[in-house]
Amino acid sequence: MWPTIYSGFGFWDVYSWIAFFIILNALALFFRGQGRGDYKKGTEQDEIFYGGNEVPEDGDDFAVPASSAYWGFTEALKGFYTKLLDLHTGLATDYVGYMFLTAAVLMALIVL
Amino acid sequence: MNWSEHLPALTLAIPLLGAFGAPVAGIFGRLVRNVWFLLFSALTAISTLLLWQYVSAQGIAIYVLGGESWSLALPSGMSLPIRIILQVDAFSALMALIGGIAMFAGAIFSLRFMERFSGLDKFVTLFFLLTVGMLGMELTGDLFNFFVFLEIASIASIGLVAFWRDKPEAVEAGFKYMLVSIVGAMMVLIAVGILYGRYDVINFAAVAQNLHMGLAEKVALSFVVIALAMKSGAVPMHMWTPDAYGEAPAGVTCLLVAVSQASLYGLFRVCFSLYGATMGSGVVAWTIIILGMLSMFVGVTMAVIQKDIKRLMAYHSVSQIGYMFLGLGVGLLAIADPRALGEYGMTAMQGGIYHLFNYSMYKGLLFLTAGALYYRTGTRNLNEMGGLARSMPRTTIMFVIAAAAIAGLPPFNGFVSKLLIYESTFAVHPILPVVAMVTSVLTLASFVKVFQTAFLGPARERFRQVREVPPTMVAGMAVLAVVVLGLTLFPTWSLANMINPAAEALVDKAGYIKAVMGGGF
Repeated sequence: MWPTIYSGFGFWDVYSWIAFFIILNALALFFRGQGRGDYKKGTEQDEIFYGGNEVPEDGDDFAVPASSAYWGFTEALKGFYTKLLDLHTGLATDYVGYMFLTAAVLMALIVL
Repeated sequence: MNWSEHLPALTLAIPLLGAFGAPVAGIFGRLVRNVWFLLFSALTAISTLLLWQYVSAQGIAIYVLGGESWSLALPSGMSLPIRIILQVDAFSALMALIGGIAMFAGAIFSLRFMERFSGLDKFVTLFFLLTVGMLGMELTGDLFNFFVFLEIASIASIGLVAFWRDKPEAVEAGFKYMLVSIVGAMMVLIAVGILYGRYDVINFAAVAQNLHMGLAEKVALSFVVIALAMKSGAVPMHMWTPDAYGEAPAGVTCLLVAVSQASLYGLFRVCFSLYGATMGSGVVAWTIIILGMLSMFVGVTMAVIQKDIKRLMAYHSVSQIGYMFLGLGVGLLAIADPRALGEYGMTAMQGGIYHLFNYSMYKGLLFLTAGALYYRTGTRNLNEMGGLARSMPRTTIMFVIAAAAIAGLPPFNGFVSKLLIYESTFAVHPILPVVAMVTSVLTLASFVKVFQTAFLGPARERFRQVREVPPTMVAGMAVLAVVVLGLTLFPTWSLANMINPAAEALVDKAGYIKAVMGGGF
């Protein structure tokens, strides 16, 4: 049995995908195996290349913090984010207010 | 009477006994209390599994508490369904099973996670009471008891969210959750009161049999939809979720995810089994679809910019709820049209219910991995984490499984349910799957961020002593990881045996009514 899910518009076959990933990983391991294994451990050949500079001891000194991730994305959507963050006031009265507002809109739509 | 016929009641009685026995077990020491906690959480999970098996084999289970018959016959011959009835169809049973698995995983994880804190007898009691509330909402056959179980779940949740009461943020989160929960519960109570006033009964099936759409019914429907959408965490009523999910202990957050699904269950039980095609217009269905779209997009865009790992995951909960709203909303839209239901409605509902199951498992797992990171590093701030994959390899594997599943990467289970939702909702309007796919891409982006910043990158000096979490915490995560992998590797079996029966039960309003009412009253 080769189970396939038909969505009515397309289909999904998990085992084909798993076979695909196995082949892909085998290829990746093969190419990795082509690398040189004769490097000298514990020498400069074994060190991280950090733009030619000395690598800091503590990761804190050269890690990219999470808040810097997707800076371009958030910068491009600055207007959207400003409005979105303004709505998230953290005030409990606002939480209830949004709920009543939504209830009022839905009630008006259903009743009218 | 076969003992298995008592399973609906046992599924509630076991965690209830677990709750009230916990302080007594606590008298005999930490070990006895932990054994009690583990034993009763395992029994609860087994009971939900047996209940699901029973319903799958026997059909809808009806259980009358304190009586043999559901009705009270009057001298005139008229009989009213006034007793407390548990009504378990395939959808209810699946929801109970999901809740059972989530609570079991949360309980195993909490054994070590919570051991450094005091007041654990109260913790175990509240944990079991929350389970009772959740399961009660899913198994009850009447509206008022649904409200009662909703309140039990809310009160227990408030206690657990604010469990670390020495942290001002936890107390604030608990207060906010209490406020919105009380307002939501009042809305549900008003709706129950309206329907009771109109039909003199509160049994789901009895009300559904007699319901015809009038002004009062419309008002009741609005209150229920909004209150339960809020409890599920739908935008724009989602703002309690990052507070509550963020501040609750990790094992509790895992359970809270399943509890929010119980509210979603209530919403769809009311929409499909109580109102169904009598709703007439598509206003409610479109409202649910629009709330779903908003939840997906707003949830994920807010998640992308978070740096607190639990708040990030909480915003993803909001976003994932949107998929279920979209799938089941499209099913609701097609409910009155058999052709539309056959062409895309049932597929959308299957996608929605499958996603609900997937979401409860991988989201619970994600919260547990966040808890594992917090347990070892003492921080939830992603800016302060890094390089933890080397010292916490098992947690890393669990995180990768859950993150790949939530992002909908093939071949993981999240992809299957999302595919069903994309393809079926396209038939309604192309913009629906476009928003869903954009959300999926942003979900992947934000979990890549978490993986890169917490697990990869250079090791931090202050985490040099960090090591893997204790085996029981790994076991808690493994329970959910195994279910995620099972849903991934056996999607055909899951759809045929778990999801399809649940979707069919949800649209079969006549069958739901007939199971209790038979020939009517």
